[in-house]
Amino acid sequence: MRGFHPSHFWAMVAFALCVSVAFAVLARRSAGSRIKYALWSLVLFLAIGIGIAWLMYPLSK
Amino acid sequence: MATDTPVVQKSADRLAAEALLAAIAAWAVPGLGHLILRRWGRAIFLFLAVGGLALTGFAMRGQLFGRQSNDPFGALGFLADACAGAFYFLPRFFHMAAPDVSRAAGDYGTRFLAAAGVVNLLGMVDAYRIASGRKH
Repeated sequence: MRGFHPSHFWAMVAFALCVSVAFAVLARRSAGSRIKYALWSLVLFLAIGIGIAWLMYPLSK
Repeated sequence: MATDTPVVQKSADRLAAEALLAAIAAWAVPGLGHLILRRWGRAIFLFLAVGGLALTGFAMRGQLFGRQSNDPFGALGFLADACAGAFYFLPRFFHMAAPDVSRAAGDYGTRFLAAAGVVNLLGMVDAYRIASGRKH
């Protein structure tokens, strides 16, 4: 079986999405605040991940 | 006042037993602890989040750590993986592809599987706190 090989970016998106949903349902009670929390958490995961990737970019040369 | 004490004590014991049951159920099947407590939203989304992480990890051919690990990282990996409950035992019951950490995807898959366990651990603590009346 070959397995599922997403790009680094899509692996990060899938991870961030699942963890953001879990954080939101555990940390907030109402639907509206859960959606806001999940979106905010997702954006922060992605922004910080991409930021760290750019910081590490010079090391790849 | 003296006659109230045994009733209060019994109620506290029952609360503690229910909290323990909710935590064990939350470990066995992600979301089940909240389902018992009638927290439907938390139950469904926790199951989807933990299941999503675990199934993506298996699809990426991540590695599950076994009990007999010689190094501390392996032991920590086992603890994290085992917290995923039913999802930890899936490969034993279904024919799934063997782990392949020689590729980046397999290595990521290993992290997904560990994250599934850690997220479920948060769910277990949450179910325990709700059942014991410490959280609403």
